[in-house]
Amino acid sequence: MAAAAPRDDDRPGVTLTRAPRLRTVLGLSRAEAQMMARSPLALAGLLVGAVVTWLFIHRLEPLWWDVSWRIGGGQLVLGMAVLVAAQLAAGRPRRDGLADLYASCPATVATRTLAHLVGLAGALPYGLLLIGGVTAAVQVRGAIGTPDATVLAGGLLLVIAAGAAGVALGARFPHPLAGVVGALALFLSSGTTHLASGAVNWLVPWEMVQDQLGQLPGPLTGYPPGRAHALELAGLAAVAGIAALAVTVRQARALGGLAVAGIVAVAAVCFAGAVQLRPIPAAALNQLASEIADPASAQACATASQVRYCLYPAFGPLLPSLEAPVNRVLAQLPTQPGQPLTIRQVVTLSVPDSAFTHGLPDREVSRWNAQVQQAAGNAIAAPPSAIGLPVGAWPAVGGQLADAHFDLALAAAEWAVHLPGTDSFGGSAEVFLPCVPVDQAREAVAIWLAIEATHPSAGELQAGLGSGPNIQGADVGGTIIRTWNYPGTGLGAVAPPGGGTQATAAGYLLAKAMTSLPAQKVSRVLASAWGRWLNWRTTDAQLAAALGLPMPSASSGVTAPSGKTTAAGPPNGPQSPVCAT
Amino acid sequence: MASQHPNIRNAEGAPLAPGQPARPAQRSRRSWLRALPPLARPVARTMPWAALLSGCLAGTVYLEIAARLAGTSQPLGQGNLRLAFLPAIAALAFVPRAPFRPLTQTTPVPGWTAPAGHVLLSAPILGLTCWMQLRIIASTIPPHVLARPPAVYPLIAQLIGWCAVAVAAAAWVDRSRYADLGGAVAAPVSFAVIALAWYAPVISGFLTEPPATVSRVTISWYVVAAAASALACAAMRDQWRRTAVTRR
Repeated sequence: MAAAAPRDDDRPGVTLTRAPRLRTVLGLSRAEAQMMARSPLALAGLLVGAVVTWLFIHRLEPLWWDVSWRIGGGQLVLGMAVLVAAQLAAGRPRRDGLADLYASCPATVATRTLAHLVGLAGALPYGLLLIGGVTAAVQVRGAIGTPDATVLAGGLLLVIAAGAAGVALGARFPHPLAGVVGALALFLSSGTTHLASGAVNWLVPWEMVQDQLGQLPGPLTGYPPGRAHALELAGLAAVAGIAALAVTVRQARALGGLAVAGIVAVAAVCFAGAVQLRPIPAAALNQLASEIADPASAQACATASQVRYCLYPAFGPLLPSLEAPVNRVLAQLPTQPGQPLTIRQVVTLSVPDSAFTHGLPDREVSRWNAQVQQAAGNAIAAPPSAIGLPVGAWPAVGGQLADAHFDLALAAAEWAVHLPGTDSFGGSAEVFLPCVPVDQAREAVAIWLAIEATHPSAGELQAGLGSGPNIQGADVGGTIIRTWNYPGTGLGAVAPPGGGTQATAAGYLLAKAMTSLPAQKVSRVLASAWGRWLNWRTTDAQLAAALGLPMPSASSGVTAPSGKTTAAGPPNGPQSPVCAT
Repeated sequence: MASQHPNIRNAEGAPLAPGQPARPAQRSRRSWLRALPPLARPVARTMPWAALLSGCLAGTVYLEIAARLAGTSQPLGQGNLRLAFLPAIAALAFVPRAPFRPLTQTTPVPGWTAPAGHVLLSAPILGLTCWMQLRIIASTIPPHVLARPPAVYPLIAQLIGWCAVAVAAAAWVDRSRYADLGGAVAAPVSFAVIALAWYAPVISGFLTEPPATVSRVTISWYVVAAAASALACAAMRDQWRRTAVTRR
């Protein structure tokens, strides 16, 4: 609409043009979106969000059903930054005392607020960049499964909802503190979910730490409730946007429309919340319990070189990474063991978790719990002829993968030399104490086989001995035996056969000395009397003598499990058994 | 033209050249100390009470809600208090603000008097907040628990260190081109420093318990607080004029 102002000199007057509202909104939105896209706060949010996501996923196996949700943690950080940026932008006119100046402009306050809301699209590239960057990193690390588009979209909606909340805050409270406190509220609501329990955790903007997604052998229906959560976030974004407009709109008709839209949005949020609080389908949990308790029913097995590898369907790409170290150990054995070895994935899931079992009959929950407790992953020790691979614990790349390879090779080598044997762990039900192969040549042989198979760095191997107050020991029959922590100790990627052993420093030092000899010479000596070396009574000194090596000595002055530094002496803590079969 | 204050000796009286630093008023110490008592009222009136109280209350309300959710079955710990104190830290980042610095630098009292007074006024509010939050987490610990609760003094040292970092960040931002945003920049900077102290492997060895011992954490945080306070003082006393002068 154009209007000509009258002039005294009868010439055409100044033309005041009132641009159509839609075009005004679009123009302002474009400008606001560009400012948001160039905001240093949003950029900082992206960087910190990427770091947070990386911290969440870098130590874990890249399982897409877990990573998709973890990306939301990064989106939460980005959302906090967008919230602050949007609040600063929306509150700027009042904060700078320019409200009157802005009021003289053709665009109304409501139009500008609407433009701020539409301008949140400027934050979407950051959210997409985060998803793209993490996706690339996960694919490079050998992703397992496929990404969940609903969950990823939920992360983007979280950013938009946070931005809409920022606009609403800025429209009402122009002080910058409002944005900072709003961002903190967003963080605190999601960062302290441990105070709540059950499905309530899904109701917060983004649950970050209270789930077991990383231990699942595959996606589980309704865990997390991705679609309902995305709907909840969309509803919250709409509620925040409507609240922002309601503060600025003056016309009664528009306010009525906003009220109706607000009711619809609140209803959508309530509906989504109710859906999220619904129990997980019993059939899905039943199947999960069966897959855990009876892995053979779900796992695909492949046999190579007398070793049977059983993996859950999604984990097929893991097979080459497992075969390589095991095959290299087996290739060095003079005689193949009589009984086959099984390397099987196990699930270490805690079923009595109300996030899983809320709303389901206690009888069913007890049955699933009993089933899962009997599964290999929750047994105190794996069977003597089986190596367990806890789902979610196998590292993807880097030094941890090398450690896991060594861990697996050592487990295979221990199986090959009949360590630890049966009934060879001590302690009580609460405290598991692996047996200690004190002065047994077969331990040195196993460690040598693992070193030759994976070639870990000498520094890392040596670091396992500890130094000064970090020297560790095990109490065996009243004598403190200096122990050796092999690479991968504590990683939890491998559950060795029979619960594994506690490696001794003497065994490692002899194995290290063996690596200084040509591998053919060691193999020849081992092959000449393989049965003798497997006998648990054959000592390190006998093996050293056969190889022509001086017997290395592990120094005394070790730290007992109780933490006290002692030399050999009377027992002062739980005693470990000797591996004797 | 206003007459010059007798305490201000502006010998030359010539206008400043573009880009030339603002010439601070020369004052005798006794005269500006005499001016402090009358200043107390305007300093208290210009104090951002709303921001400070909002921040302190927001954290306390959050902790109270968390305490009611958790009950005595899941007692709150010092970690929850640390989280609940973050809004107060954010609010504190808005406190040391010196608007109209080019003007206040020419008054009989130093320009840093107002922000320093604001920081001093905020100290009892923050102390009260900390005390209330400690009471809240203590109320969640069930009675007849034999285990000794963790020591409070390292936590107090840590919170003092956080406050000092926030004040230093705010004072430095106030002397930068982002002075108009003040705490909106200083608060995230403070949070970044806090996160760094918490998670950085080398630094956390001194500032986080465990791995650091209680006494080491306490001493380290007081050292941090002292260093941050020194930085804040340096920023507040800084007299360089940031106002850009455009040459036509």
